[in-house]
Amino acid sequence: MKRFLQGRNLLFVGVGSAALVIALVLILVNQSGSSSAESTQTEPVATTTVNGGSEPAERPKAPGAAAAQALFRGIPQQLNQLGNPKAKVTMIEFADPQCPYCRQYELETLPTIVKEYVRTGKVKLVYFGIPIIGQNSEAGLRAVYAAGLQNKLWNFSHLLYRSQGAENSGWINNDLLGRIGDSIPGFDTQKMLADRRSPEVDAALTASAQQATSVHVYRTPTFFARPTGGTLQQVPLTALSADAFRPTLDALVK
Amino acid sequence: MTEPRLRAAIALLALAGAAIAAYLIYARYTHTQIACTTGGCETVQHSKYAKTAGIPVAVLGLVAYLSVFATTLSARVEAAAIGAAIVLGGLVFGIYLIVIQVAVIDAICQWCLASDAILAVLAVLSAERLRRIAGMPQGPSAQAPMTAGG
Repeated sequence: MKRFLQGRNLLFVGVGSAALVIALVLILVNQSGSSSAESTQTEPVATTTVNGGSEPAERPKAPGAAAAQALFRGIPQQLNQLGNPKAKVTMIEFADPQCPYCRQYELETLPTIVKEYVRTGKVKLVYFGIPIIGQNSEAGLRAVYAAGLQNKLWNFSHLLYRSQGAENSGWINNDLLGRIGDSIPGFDTQKMLADRRSPEVDAALTASAQQATSVHVYRTPTFFARPTGGTLQQVPLTALSADAFRPTLDALVK
Repeated sequence: MTEPRLRAAIALLALAGAAIAAYLIYARYTHTQIACTTGGCETVQHSKYAKTAGIPVAVLGLVAYLSVFATTLSARVEAAAIGAAIVLGGLVFGIYLIVIQVAVIDAICQWCLASDAILAVLAVLSAERLRRIAGMPQGPSAQAPMTAGG
């Protein structure tokens, strides 16, 4: 051993050890920084918690975190879009996070649409959030669009629907939004909470409202589809099942 | 490849790595959309893993690449050793970040992959440079006779 740790070998061992220390320090600091990001936030997340407003060191995960991760895993997201940007067909959804039928579509139908049309690259989905039901809707939409700035709008919106409460009961609060953010792997919850009042989110809300007005959408959910770049047509629905979407989507992807 | 050529190759690769890091820093602070064919660059750059101790990973990368470049300005063994340590440490950290991209963030940043590829080549070249500067094994320790069982 003594002989080994001499001259050139000693130099190599020294360099290898230094490299290992550099890497370990970087990894540990990166890990600890990512797990404690929420505790250094400037804006309190848990202002409505029952434990006296103390900083939650570890928030419980939102319901359905694993399912949401599996549903969208590997599918490209860009702001409010989900799926292959070059997909042949675009389907647009106008939604409100407080709307029960939007929740029904999201939980019962969207997984099939994603599996059959989005994951296969045939259809890309575009989300436009409009606050139809009330002020609590805008609070939710601001968080959803702020998540879109991290390209996780679809994960966030899905988890928000899974925790949906009674309309305008105040269920969309900082505690829930923080828990949802913490349930998305790699997501910067602190940034999302801060971005809710950003000019980008303001612009997204304005654009959504303008889009809704331009195609006369006054209720949610409402769906439109078109060949990408083509003319928009409303998806005629008599139900919110996947079967109700198939005739329109199948005709367009042909 | 001669030692001066190895140094030149390391210097060029370090500058290429620095250019990638500088581009990502520029995009971050000017809010410019990153050119991306993998579709996950923005997701990765905005994830909570994109910072270490509050410093963007791209800034750490730029400092590391420039440090490696600086070590190529000297032919001393200490410079080669420092350069190799930074590159090898960076490579291990880069591999960790690839695992995070694939297993946690669920998005791939092509610029990060390009940087990792540069680091991998730099690691080979830096190790070779160090081996050459340190010299071939010489002396009794490298030629210890087999005495056991004689």
